Amino acid sequence: MTGVTLQNVTKRFKTETAVDDVSLAIVDGEFVVILGASGSGKSTILRIIAGLEVQTSGHVYIGDMLVDDYEPRDRNLAMVFQSYALYPHLNAYDNIAFGLRVRRVPRADHPRKLRHLTKREVDAKVRSAAQMLGIGEMLRKRPAELSGGQRQRVALARAMVRDPEAFLLDEPLSNLDAKIRSSARIELKRLHARLRQTFIFVTHDQSEAMTLGDRLAILNHGRLLQCDTPERVLSHPANQYVASFVGSPEMVFLEGNVQPAGAGYTFVKDPVRIPIRGAARPGPVTLGVRPWDVRVEKEGSPTALPSRVTGVERLGSSDHLFLELAGPAPASGAAAPAPPALSVRAVTRAYDFNVGDRAFVTFDPDRALFFDAEGARLESMSLATRLP
Amino acid sequence: MRVRPRRRWVRLAKRVASHLVLILACAFALFPIYFIVVTSLSTLPIAAITAHVLVPNPHSLTAASYNTILYHLSPSFLALMTNSLIFAGSAAATGLALAAFTGFALSKFNFPGRRTFVYFILLISLFPGVLLVIPYYFMFNSLGLIDTYLGLIIPYSAGAVVFSGILVKNYMDSIPDDIEEAALVDGLSRTQAFFRVLIPLCYPVLGLAAFLAFLGPYTDFALAHLFITTTNLETLALGIYSINSGDQGTQNYGLVTAFAVVMSLPIVAFYLAFQRYIIGGLTLGAVRG
Repeated sequence: MTGVTLQNVTKRFKTETAVDDVSLAIVDGEFVVILGASGSGKSTILRIIAGLEVQTSGHVYIGDMLVDDYEPRDRNLAMVFQSYALYPHLNAYDNIAFGLRVRRVPRADHPRKLRHLTKREVDAKVRSAAQMLGIGEMLRKRPAELSGGQRQRVALARAMVRDPEAFLLDEPLSNLDAKIRSSARIELKRLHARLRQTFIFVTHDQSEAMTLGDRLAILNHGRLLQCDTPERVLSHPANQYVASFVGSPEMVFLEGNVQPAGAGYTFVKDPVRIPIRGAARPGPVTLGVRPWDVRVEKEGSPTALPSRVTGVERLGSSDHLFLELAGPAPASGAAAPAPPALSVRAVTRAYDFNVGDRAFVTFDPDRALFFDAEGARLESMSLATRLP
Repeated sequence: MRVRPRRRWVRLAKRVASHLVLILACAFALFPIYFIVVTSLSTLPIAAITAHVLVPNPHSLTAASYNTILYHLSPSFLALMTNSLIFAGSAAATGLALAAFTGFALSKFNFPGRRTFVYFILLISLFPGVLLVIPYYFMFNSLGLIDTYLGLIIPYSAGAVVFSGILVKNYMDSIPDDIEEAALVDGLSRTQAFFRVLIPLCYPVLGLAAFLAFLGPYTDFALAHLFITTTNLETLALGIYSINSGDQGTQNYGLVTAFAVVMSLPIVAFYLAFQRYIIGGLTLGAVRG
């Protein structure tokens, strides 16, 4: 039971940089999810921690121990692979016992001499792990005879029995079908609560990350963009990439401009004009709002943006609306071309709206975020509470 | 309703046809063996054998040839067999051990020139082995290895490595790296992972490789004929040659075929022993299936 620390870790393959100067301190007993799209370097980080890959520069610590020069077998970590990587020639029992049988522990009478575990010790560990994971009945079966969910548990049990410093899990749920996956997720979380050991979990699935992680580390192109609790990542994303990657349905982005208006500034994206609070500078910005922070009403308040419902996804407990903002009607007779339709997604109470309905949209001013042209978050800027 | 019986008839006809083809193919493959066995049980001259094979006369069947082969041969059949088994057995064992390491290196290690090396080996294996007999002779003669066990075991196992190494490599390529890595994280060294995980997974291909590495030397004539001049190193292949052409009586087909039957027994035994490994399918279910 130990924390894991990465210090300026960089990994370069021939032409590309897979991991780019990542520093990350994982606390003892923490469940950290490394989240990123495929090719973001998340698996490489896990493999570097495991010692299966050697970093080009930087350091890896397990606890206080610098392990840069340690072979995988000397790091005492356990890994669950995406493919489970069970030994196909051994049955479930032997798969779980495999690591125990090669391991040597200090002798009771001679602490400096090592001995193998006895058959009985191995058996006790295997059985208790198998029981905890509910696979006691299938220990005699070969991997080929087990279902996906059972294989995944055998892989977990194999990791558990070794009593490792930390668990490394490389997308262990992605090969399960949807139904088992959600229950496996809950079980995994429960297992972590019970073992209270360090879990480092790699996934590309943001909802998996949100439900499992104490903290999320979000990677893109090998760079660590943010590492924080799921709540903070959701409400205070470091940049636009994080904002769009985390949260489902995806954040609504309106690319517009900040323009001076009277004493202050206004966010302009035809047909939307919303005044801004805080320090602003004229120029291109992107406004981001979570779909569940988009308020949709049937009656128009003076500050609301008129819109039309163009699509409804009924999820049972709530609806996802696709709205097209119409903006204020153009002045009569003006030859101004109709502004391009602006789509916004919103989450509403179930069965409130139907396709074709008129709706009035406001954004929760405390939750709306601004990003600059490079995608960095503009923390000082927010929407004014009231529309003019 | 009228369609069903016709369909059933068609299905039956197809089945009969495919069985006929299979039976023919089987007969084609088995007839030579039958011919040899029946011939070996007779002492008839060659002219009478064809008629005898087609309609065997139970009264003319005799084990006389086997008696001669097993008890009245000089050097004795047992001595020839022992030599052959020593040559083929040690060549298969050495070749197989080297092939396993070769395959492991070529499949799981990344080193510069690996692909070139693989192509090079493939290229070598394209050369007919007989081409090498003369250069081998000069080399081994100057090394003083002519008329020794070692002198034949070395080229035999070298031949096995070339082919079986590639065979093992291809098979190991199909074993996901995950499995080896899981063993490394589980606390094994690379060597331990090789012996305890990869080798057991390779049993099917190693069985096949062993079989082939055994078969070549066991039946080799060209190299043995040149390298062996003393009778106490003579192999079965040399023995069958000498009874067919030597002083034991020319063209005695009963003797030759009886020799062939007894000579083939170890191959059959070897095959049966390794057959279950060649069935394979061991990697199934290792990763998501």
